[in-house]
Amino acid sequence: MGQTPKPGYRRFYDINGWSFVASALLLIATFLVYPIGKSLWMSLHSGQGTLVKFVGFGNAIRLTSDPIFMRALTNTFIFLIIQVPIMIVLALIMASLLNMQNLKGRGFLRTAVFLPCVTSLVAYSVLFKSMFSYDGIINASLIKLGIISHAVPWLTDPVWAKVVVISALTWRWTGYNMIFFLAAMQNIDKSIYEAARIDGISATRRFLSITIPMLKPVILFTTVTSTIGTLQIFDEPFNITQGGPGDSTLTLSLYIYNLSFRYVPNFGYAATVSYVIVILVAILAFFQFHAARERD
Amino acid sequence: MNFTKRTVIKAMAGLVLASAGLMTATAASAKEVTIWAWDPNFNIAIMQEAAKRYTAKHPGATFKIVDMAKNDLEQKLQTTLASGVTKSLPDIVLVEDYNAPKYLRSFPGAFEPMSGIVDYSGFAKYKVDLMTMNGKVYGLPFDAGVTGMYYRKDYLTKAGFSEKDMNNITWDRFIEIGKKVEVATGKKMLGIDPNDNGLIRVMMQSGGRWYFDKEGKLDIKNNPALKAALEIQAKLFKAGIVKPTTGWPEYVGVVNNGDVATITTGVWITGTVKAEKSQTGLWAVAPTPSLGIPGSVSASNLGGSSWYVLSGGKEKAMAIDFLNEIYAKDVDFYQTILQSRGAVGTLLASRSGKAYSEADPFFGGAQVWQSFSDWLSKVPSVNYGMYTYEGDAAISAQLPALIQGAPVDQLLESIHQQLSAQIK
Repeated sequence: MGQTPKPGYRRFYDINGWSFVASALLLIATFLVYPIGKSLWMSLHSGQGTLVKFVGFGNAIRLTSDPIFMRALTNTFIFLIIQVPIMIVLALIMASLLNMQNLKGRGFLRTAVFLPCVTSLVAYSVLFKSMFSYDGIINASLIKLGIISHAVPWLTDPVWAKVVVISALTWRWTGYNMIFFLAAMQNIDKSIYEAARIDGISATRRFLSITIPMLKPVILFTTVTSTIGTLQIFDEPFNITQGGPGDSTLTLSLYIYNLSFRYVPNFGYAATVSYVIVILVAILAFFQFHAARERD
Repeated sequence: MNFTKRTVIKAMAGLVLASAGLMTATAASAKEVTIWAWDPNFNIAIMQEAAKRYTAKHPGATFKIVDMAKNDLEQKLQTTLASGVTKSLPDIVLVEDYNAPKYLRSFPGAFEPMSGIVDYSGFAKYKVDLMTMNGKVYGLPFDAGVTGMYYRKDYLTKAGFSEKDMNNITWDRFIEIGKKVEVATGKKMLGIDPNDNGLIRVMMQSGGRWYFDKEGKLDIKNNPALKAALEIQAKLFKAGIVKPTTGWPEYVGVVNNGDVATITTGVWITGTVKAEKSQTGLWAVAPTPSLGIPGSVSASNLGGSSWYVLSGGKEKAMAIDFLNEIYAKDVDFYQTILQSRGAVGTLLASRSGKAYSEADPFFGGAQVWQSFSDWLSKVPSVNYGMYTYEGDAAISAQLPALIQGAPVDQLLESIHQQLSAQIK
């Protein structure tokens, strides 16, 4: 004790400190800063493979008249707007059910709901694909139960294909978000609920007026991370539908893949599309934080 | 702090691994030709046979044949070529014909020209044309994708059709037959994967056209073959004789488990069809159905690939010598791979070999190879250009509308627009 902290500039020139962080900085510079800078530079070029020329904002202008990009953007937003709210609401409901004190087998149920999260993205996508195939188990069971009379073309119809991708995403990620809500619910002071009960407040009202407001920061967090995840969605459409039928499940990330590996390689244009995702993530996160800010 | 420690350890481990990798790479490079290809039952097995023949004459040569999924191989090749670091690339790589012009043009200097060494006049002209750029020929032509219609004789007989009824039919007739087959057997006529436009390309090429004309200009709006192909695709779905499938395993699965009566595709499917031994004698092969428009023939092509030597390869001289000696000269080799794998080579001399005239008990003792060889000479030559997959994507985008009955001319307009925006 008794030692005063060093002033800022002294700390800045402290060789020991720098040598401690040097290796980390070096790694960050090599694997983070350099690729980001390089991809920005790349996005100003266009061409075929290694035959590229500087086009400045040419790629960005091309985006505005690219019908596939527009479809990929639309699909990504459809996934985002439909899937994220469904998942967050489901996760909230599941979390509050699993948080009930008198529920039997809580440990087992919590594990069961969380389990999809530990499966590999590719493995579960392939499984969904086989389940929803024309002769798959879903069609077979629905016909057996008499719910449908003809097999539903799950993966070959533009609308159903989206439904399958959204169901897959919801199955995979609901448990993950549920864990955050569950953890946060257990931190809410029980005395608040007791007081509400004494005042004769109904269970639904307690959920809406106590639980949800108390969970606001966690809901914000899960919404932001889910939004980012959905904007980058690649594994599911790639493995389940290959972006088809037509372009009905083509997402921005899948389009980047196609531009780089399926079509005549145009890495510059692909980099431009990837910056679109970056910008979208930034804008949406900003709005979400803005909407959830404390109004005092 | 914890983070730093972990990353440093990781980096050190990475360095150790990398140097270990380098050492093994240099140790193994003594006259070893590395080859990348896909499909263990076809390309890999054929390459192993070729390597065996070469090492018998050149005892010093060794081969490392790497089996990769087609998508993985293309992704790895494309990324590595783009990065410019060619050290990790093999000496020989298998490239699909549709991709060849795209690689040759996008990565100049990456592939080694072989004109002057290999006698290309001995190969089918369409193969040589698509690997020629600026007067130089790259790659060694390998297999043909000449198409035929494979069908289940037992199903067709049950519906009242003989083998003669299946010869040289049009797609309209195919649909009529298909409706009767479904009534008689309850089986669909064919499987279609809506994400794979192979069949549309087969139909279009049988009409002598492609997404691009001979000069490489976009040929969509006034392309009668493409228009007819799209109309037939719509009719097939409307007639209810299509079993929709997704992905390659499912597409061939419906053939092997007897869910569909026919499959029209490249000759390389033979091995897959024959894989279901219990169906021996039940299959027959007929010419590809024709479009029924002026200029269309009962023969087409789908896929096919060739071997390319990379300029950055360490053993490229030996790789070229190997390809030249086996694939360009050894007629007996082509007889072996035809019989064991069903590979129809594009070396013209190989077709006079005796394997081509042999009967196949799986197809009820028919001389199927002779038929494919005859059809191969009828395949209309088209200029694939470098944008096949862009063309496919443009078609795919309109398929849902097509099946719902949208007018084809309007769809061709949309396809034209998307494609012209895409090929800048």
